[in-house]
Amino acid sequence: MAPFTARGGRGGPGGGRGGGAPRGGRGGFSGRGSANGVRGRGGGRGGFGDRGGRGGRGGPARGGRGGRGGARGGPGGMKGGAKVVIEPHRHAGVFVVRGGKEDGIATRNLTPGESVYGEKRISVDEPVENDDGTTTTTKVEYRLWNPFRSKLCAAIAGGADDIYIRPGSRVLYIGAASGTSVSHVADLVGPTGFVYAVEFSNRSGRDLIAMAAKRPNVVPIVEDARQPVRYRMVVPMVDVIFADVAQPDQARIVAMNANWFLKQGGGVLISIKANCIDSTAPAAEVFASEVQKMRAESIKPKFQLTLEPFERDHCLVAGIYTRGE
Amino acid sequence: MSLFVLAETPAGYGLLKASDKKMLKNADLAAELGKPERLIEMLKLKKFVKFDSAAMALEEAAAVSQGQIPPLLTSLLEDLQAEKKASLAVADLKLGTAISNLPGLNVTPVAGSDTMDLFRAVREHVSSLIPGLDQDVLDRMTLGLSHSMSRHKLKFSADKVDSMIIQAIKMLDDIDKELNVYAMRTKEWYGWHFPEMAKTLNDNLAYARVVRSVGMRDNFKDADLSDILPEDVEVSLKASAELSMGVEITEDDLKNAVELADQVIKFTEYRAQLTSYLESRMRAIAPNLTALVGYLVGARLISHAGSVLSLAKAPGSTIQILGAEKALFRALKTKKDTPKYGIMYHSSLVGQATGKNKGKIARMLSAKVALGLRVDALGDDDEEDDEQRAALGLTNRIKLENYLRRLEGKAALPKGTNVTPSGEIVSAGQFSLKETGRYAVDADGVVDHDMADADAEPATKSKKSKKPRIEVVEEKDVDMEDAPEDSDDDSDEASVKKLSEKEYERLADLSGISVKKFKRKYERGDIQLGEDGNPKVLSKKELKKLRKTENNDEPAEPSPEKKKKRKAEDGEAESKKDKKSKKKRESLSA
Repeated sequence: MAPFTARGGRGGPGGGRGGGAPRGGRGGFSGRGSANGVRGRGGGRGGFGDRGGRGGRGGPARGGRGGRGGARGGPGGMKGGAKVVIEPHRHAGVFVVRGGKEDGIATRNLTPGESVYGEKRISVDEPVENDDGTTTTTKVEYRLWNPFRSKLCAAIAGGADDIYIRPGSRVLYIGAASGTSVSHVADLVGPTGFVYAVEFSNRSGRDLIAMAAKRPNVVPIVEDARQPVRYRMVVPMVDVIFADVAQPDQARIVAMNANWFLKQGGGVLISIKANCIDSTAPAAEVFASEVQKMRAESIKPKFQLTLEPFERDHCLVAGIYTRGE
Repeated sequence: MSLFVLAETPAGYGLLKASDKKMLKNADLAAELGKPERLIEMLKLKKFVKFDSAAMALEEAAAVSQGQIPPLLTSLLEDLQAEKKASLAVADLKLGTAISNLPGLNVTPVAGSDTMDLFRAVREHVSSLIPGLDQDVLDRMTLGLSHSMSRHKLKFSADKVDSMIIQAIKMLDDIDKELNVYAMRTKEWYGWHFPEMAKTLNDNLAYARVVRSVGMRDNFKDADLSDILPEDVEVSLKASAELSMGVEITEDDLKNAVELADQVIKFTEYRAQLTSYLESRMRAIAPNLTALVGYLVGARLISHAGSVLSLAKAPGSTIQILGAEKALFRALKTKKDTPKYGIMYHSSLVGQATGKNKGKIARMLSAKVALGLRVDALGDDDEEDDEQRAALGLTNRIKLENYLRRLEGKAALPKGTNVTPSGEIVSAGQFSLKETGRYAVDADGVVDHDMADADAEPATKSKKSKKPRIEVVEEKDVDMEDAPEDSDDDSDEASVKKLSEKEYERLADLSGISVKKFKRKYERGDIQLGEDGNPKVLSKKELKKLRKTENNDEPAEPSPEKKKKRKAEDGEAESKKDKKSKKKRESLSA
């Protein structure tokens, strides 16, 4: 891979202050737990004031640290100006960025030149072999994927065996929120795949639609995932279901959607937040009972992965849909 | 008995006919459907109708997803009219019910778990089942349809009215914070010039107004602050200005401080306006909730739940601890006592209670809040005025006040005590009129006609409801007008012969009215005795005519007869309504 120069963290119009992570603004100005793209703040919680000035101007010399990574010291951003190398990850469509202080995970940007939520972009010259044997170099852009903000990325960083999502897959993404993670999944599946992103909240749905407007492989659905009947017309059979709904009955929600839309043998990825299912029981017990519920719904569990240190008391359970077996 | 399958695609509807009538009874249907070549044999396309435009697709898809039958589907189903006995497999149970209720159609819809495998197979192989419908065409249609459906969903979202309350209460909190910061800064800044003023003048607004109107400290002695401050404060302020230890500042410095003071004044004005907006809005949207806990706490509850409807779905126990989640979950984890109140703590009822009663009253109050909210969110209150809509909340408020008084060992509120719409308790007979700016629903942009009609009632600012209000007052005037006229008649009364009791009875009998009534009318002069001794009862109309001719040279009556009559009718209707609401309340309190 060719060495290259990382670009500054300041993104598109929504980028705001460098590394301005919508989620960082939680507890501050944002309405109902949804992201607020305009005044996101890197790092600090409950931010509305101007103190600190963390996340700075992401000039070419110093990339703003992204999102919560800034606060928690995760691999938020690669240092601008440093020589970095991009390598394909074990999972197709995912890339590893090496060369900064720590390694990062990235996806190939489907819409070069634009950030979705103020994440950092890295562009690189890549040689492409033509038919006649000559090579031409083209610019390819990657977007850094922050494991502190995306559970799927946390799972990849944590060493998930299989994410079932590959280039060309059709993915039903339940609990899409503002579409930050969805945008990376859309990058991952590429122009031949599709992401069907279901989100119930109107406020988040607004951001999701705005994101989907720029990516032709994202199908936004502002509906209740408990009622797959309502969106049966716009979702075909899919290869993978990814669910990040944090609801007490999320196993049932996933099972219902699998029953309607998931192919026989398709992959299921469920991110479980122990607190949302039972706040009194120990996390391990909650995970075990959720896995049991999945088994009852003919989802054969394959592996379970804790999302530490990115999220506390979270885990990702992966399984295979084995209908009628 | 043939079996049809309805395939809904983003491009249009397909009607498939099954080659095997008893296909759904087949035990290993799922396995057979798994093979595409078998599937094509099993299902044959009978008809496909495609959506002509994106708008049409949206309309059809929106209706179908709600379980209704849109026009295009109806026309497709008409093809099945020829079938004598047919069953139709549909994906949605609700849509199936709607189809079975369709007149002139003799098909039995099949839906539910039996058909799930069938529809999974259809969804997977739809492009091979329906010729000409390629996967990429389908994907393009899907993308377009999903975008327009979700846009549509956002545009006509149901809780848009609630979101205004949520934004308003959040703004109110923000502005309070901001205002405090600005006011402090004004005091700090101007304090360098005149430090003594902050001691004499605690009120932020007054401070800012004084800064703006006076400016430099030297101007104090000639300044007239009578419209800002009470006299004694003004005097002491002027005195301390004479011997202040503050530093001298330049005009430029002052200008900036004054600009900040301007901001404080402007913000305070805006805050007042925002408060009245929120109050009127709350009264229109959740009258019972407002009656029970007041508009501020009510708005906070709504803001916490996200919408009135989702709050109404919560049980009383949830409402009680809303806002104390952290304490609740901590208590659950450590197996300690759960919190007794969250946002509800700030309601006036809980505030009045002491000690253990706080928890008790919070519990009772939230139970009533839950009831009131359900009425607010789901009640059918089309033609009722404000007071009636809040009847449940107001009666329960009194009840709870009395509960609390009993708990605290105080005497109960006297009978007839009432709660004003603004939430204050007034004793019996006391009349208070607090004019609050009501929220103009017309300015809301709510398209729904039913809703607009329902909301138009409480809006005083709209002309419609302002009218009756004026009329009530005028009506009183009418009564008053009558009275002096009556007294005019009283002067004639002397000329009216006094009659004996017996005479009254006889005459009353003759005129066909009760003795009592007769007596009253007679004394008023409404009855004339004819020459033959027979009484003549003058009807109201005649009386008026009579009076008019009498008063002809006096200034004409302000209200013409016609208007008066209408008003009388209105009055009647009003009193009926009052009675109704009274009854309703009595039954509620019983």
